[in-house]
Amino acid sequence: MTPVGTETSERKPLATQTRVWRWTAFTGVALLVLVTIHMIAHHFVVESIGGLRTYRQILDYIANPVMFTIECTFLVVVTIHGMLGLRSVLFDLNFGARARARINRGLVALGALTVAYGLALIGTLASRA
Amino acid sequence: MNDSAAGAPGREARQERGPVQRKGFGLAPTGWVDPRGRTLGAWAFAGNRITGLGLVFYLYLHLGVLTTLLWGAHAWGRFLGVATTFVFLGLDVVLLFGLLYHGLNGVRVLLVGTGLVPHRERALWWAGAVIGTIVLLGGALHILGSRS
Repeated sequence: MTPVGTETSERKPLATQTRVWRWTAFTGVALLVLVTIHMIAHHFVVESIGGLRTYRQILDYIANPVMFTIECTFLVVVTIHGMLGLRSVLFDLNFGARARARINRGLVALGALTVAYGLALIGTLASRA
Repeated sequence: MNDSAAGAPGREARQERGPVQRKGFGLAPTGWVDPRGRTLGAWAFAGNRITGLGLVFYLYLHLGVLTTLLWGAHAWGRFLGVATTFVFLGLDVVLLFGLLYHGLNGVRVLLVGTGLVPHRERALWWAGAVIGTIVLLGGALHILGSRS
């Protein structure tokens, strides 16, 4: 899949741009499924106000191996998609090459911290069930 | 306009209706937030970015809120007391709007960008708007209606 209108003779920028676009598209498609599952599971199947679960219900939900796997996958995929989106917005500000490299490193670090914290949170809650 | 600008590359493109161009050439770095002279595609792009930034903000807000679960059932119960107010549930509907807009516009961009459905940007946008509005109304009624 190559985005229409991105053809250029510059080889390296095209490769990076296309790779980023493919990852954004791939994670975006995965999110369509994962967000739907997440929203339905949390807001449309629980019989309470706003579909919000009680503390006990959340622990039971996250301890289910299938839901645990789905929620962990959701966390990783949404973080990658979000960081790539932030990268696009920041890169549009026309920073220089060094600043862009810093942005890349910063977003990788932020994404890794986000996933690490989220996984620790999910794992801790699952262990309490 | 002086002689050098008259013969500058991209001059004709900058005079057409569309996203606002800067004095130099091409879109300004923050041109996507400028509402003047926009086409539907430019509005869709700006909407996608605004909802995207909002969703990234919500990701961290969500992780922060879920941290209260670590403090036990009492802390979560107190949060639920706030989260089930009409105002808070209304913000859930705003979140649902953001998800629907970003998701459906993403599908549109994917279909056009991959060449699967080329040259149907407007039709796809309006199809997404209809589908999104129907799902949003159903979701809003469910979320807000669950209070009664």
